[in-house]
Amino acid sequence: MCGALALACGGRPSSWDTPFVAANSQNGLAPAYGLTGSVAVLDTALGRVTLLSSPAALTLASHSIGLGTDLAATRVSADRKTLFALSRGVQPQRKPNDERPQLLLIDGGPTPKVLQSYPLTEPMDQLVLDPKNEWAVVYGSSGVVVNLNELVLVNLAQTGADALSFKTLLSFGGNPKRFTFTGPLAVPGGDPRRFLIVERDFDLVLIDLAAPDRDAVTVPLPSTDAGGTATSAQVVYDADSASIAVRVTGTTSVFLLQLAAPAQDGQDYSVVTNLVDVGAQPATIDFVHNAQGLRLVALVGTSAVLVDPDTATTQAVQMPAAFTGIRRITSELNPSAAPALDGDVALLYGPNISKIAYFNLSGAPGALFRSIEPYDIGVSVKNVIDVPGDTYFDHKILETPNQQFYVLDLNTRESAPMKTNGGLTLEVAPDGERVWAYNPGQAGFASVDFARLHPISLIAERAVSNVFDIEGVNGQRTAVALHLAAGTADGIGATVLDALAPSTANARFYSGLELGGVK
Amino acid sequence: MRECFRLPALLASALCLVGATAHAEPLGSHQPHVEASLGVRVSKVADAGFDPFADSDALAQVSLGLGATVLRAQRFSLSAVGFWDYGQSSSTSRGSSTSLAVHRLSVGPELRYHLLPPLYLFVHALPAFAHSEASMDDRVADATRYARHWSYGVDGALGAAFEVYGTRSGESVRPRLWVIAEGGYGYLGSTRLKLLPDPGQGPERTSPVDLGSLSLSGPYLRVSAALSF
Repeated sequence: MCGALALACGGRPSSWDTPFVAANSQNGLAPAYGLTGSVAVLDTALGRVTLLSSPAALTLASHSIGLGTDLAATRVSADRKTLFALSRGVQPQRKPNDERPQLLLIDGGPTPKVLQSYPLTEPMDQLVLDPKNEWAVVYGSSGVVVNLNELVLVNLAQTGADALSFKTLLSFGGNPKRFTFTGPLAVPGGDPRRFLIVERDFDLVLIDLAAPDRDAVTVPLPSTDAGGTATSAQVVYDADSASIAVRVTGTTSVFLLQLAAPAQDGQDYSVVTNLVDVGAQPATIDFVHNAQGLRLVALVGTSAVLVDPDTATTQAVQMPAAFTGIRRITSELNPSAAPALDGDVALLYGPNISKIAYFNLSGAPGALFRSIEPYDIGVSVKNVIDVPGDTYFDHKILETPNQQFYVLDLNTRESAPMKTNGGLTLEVAPDGERVWAYNPGQAGFASVDFARLHPISLIAERAVSNVFDIEGVNGQRTAVALHLAAGTADGIGATVLDALAPSTANARFYSGLELGGVK
Repeated sequence: MRECFRLPALLASALCLVGATAHAEPLGSHQPHVEASLGVRVSKVADAGFDPFADSDALAQVSLGLGATVLRAQRFSLSAVGFWDYGQSSSTSRGSSTSLAVHRLSVGPELRYHLLPPLYLFVHALPAFAHSEASMDDRVADATRYARHWSYGVDGALGAAFEVYGTRSGESVRPRLWVIAEGGYGYLGSTRLKLLPDPGQGPERTSPVDLGSLSLSGPYLRVSAALSF
């Protein structure tokens, strides 16, 4: 008996007793992320991410990487090459070797690996990434005493503690709400440099990323027209003129900030502010160039109000409908040309209007009303999705509030309506050659390649939660339709297809991927 | 170093003494002609491939044995023995029900030495082959996956058998009841754990779930009761 008991000694790792549960988006974590060469599936129960890559055609390999204890946030870089994971570590710390909070960077290519780890001193909850992948910001400490205005700026070009800059923003009661990383702003008296604009409850904070340890500049927001407290709703900038514009709630004015040469000793730059009334509360704003120079365009009802940031004069252009969205498409129409100083072209749209319009700002000031060409497409547009890559950069995907989407060729101005049978989630392939449409929870999904605009409908054998288009080890394109049951104890399954010629007749089914690397 | 030699020498002296004491008694049917046993075999499977199928490292099996003495030389005898061991282990792997069923058949010679008429020691080395069926309920595929394999190896063990019921006389042909205990090491080659649904089950072109390899090698204990004639 004793011998039998002795033989029975020895158990298995507790990981085997930990069910896989797909991450719940209510916790701020997506169940899965599409990267350039792999699909990252969060396995929060084991504090790891399972990366699915394609070593050969129609094959899938899984590789798990620990993300650290108590995952707080995950984000994918704008170029989809890197997965960022912010973890709180072991809290409270009891032993010298207890795991510290960290920001982990994982290469999302066909052979996933850890790129970098930045140990943090305090557990943080929030993570914001720079679209240019030069900076990350972590904030929102969850300690006993929390400084809501403390930011940790992580310079991604550096490693270790040198990469971290701790920044406490002077506050009059507000705390960070949104962040905007600017391009290099041509601030007079110095080299162009990037800024981090922090939107808070009552003000904006400008952080010079060329010297993040220098004092930040706080700019109070104007009051509402009724004299109350206003908040920022949108921040846009123009790099060449170092201009920033803010759409502010509760006021018919737009708030303009001009970064100028230093006005006194000790300054790196000065900020000149202006408030320009555009007649009503704008739905959106953006900087554009017309034949006269830089203008801020504010969409107000059925008018596009052009504001000269230098003189604060305005010019209203009648629009054929009350568009609420604007997207500059100048570079998509002519990518090889220099920045359009003689006039931008913008796409106008709105979620309540069954039209889109091309706004050509190169016309004479008095004839701008003729420069808006409407197109009745029969459905409204809630979002305009860019197409990456070098081939179909002049295409936009118009996402509608219902079950349709449009593929719009900006050059020919032809739009191809695509109707789906269910809800709609769109996933543009990172190579910019096709778009995938699916309805989470349904087995059906489809591919539309931009070359022929030919939809290929596919019915998986299990409900699809996500579809991602990744590059394989040998350069082949692979579509991965994930089968994840959000919030319930299940496993990781996927149907794998050739993304260039998708067919369920030769697709392969994978499951049990959550079991890989358990130890 | 001297201590190392002391214990075997003492054991050898004890065996000689017991053997001399029992020398006068005829063994007769105390040396079984044939015997059948029923017992339990517990193996320690430390291989990581066993983890998905068990909460511990123990694999318990019911053990049926048959033996026949083919050669006798005073206290020594040589028997041909065979065992069929069957056991199943069930668990969950990250929420999926799993199971491992193992059949093991071992046949070979066993050398016995009677210390006393009702007590003999034995040693055997038995070529063994096993069939394992690993299964997992795949909730995503909505199918049960299997990995079925044959593997080959050898069981080597030392043991003792004590007669707990039987007439004193070796002339008697009435059955005798023995309690047998053995301990040893069972070796089996590794098998791959690539689990697939049976044909027609699960989605088309389902790829296997690869759980690595499984080796059922490890030390074991077998305790059984045997009837001899």
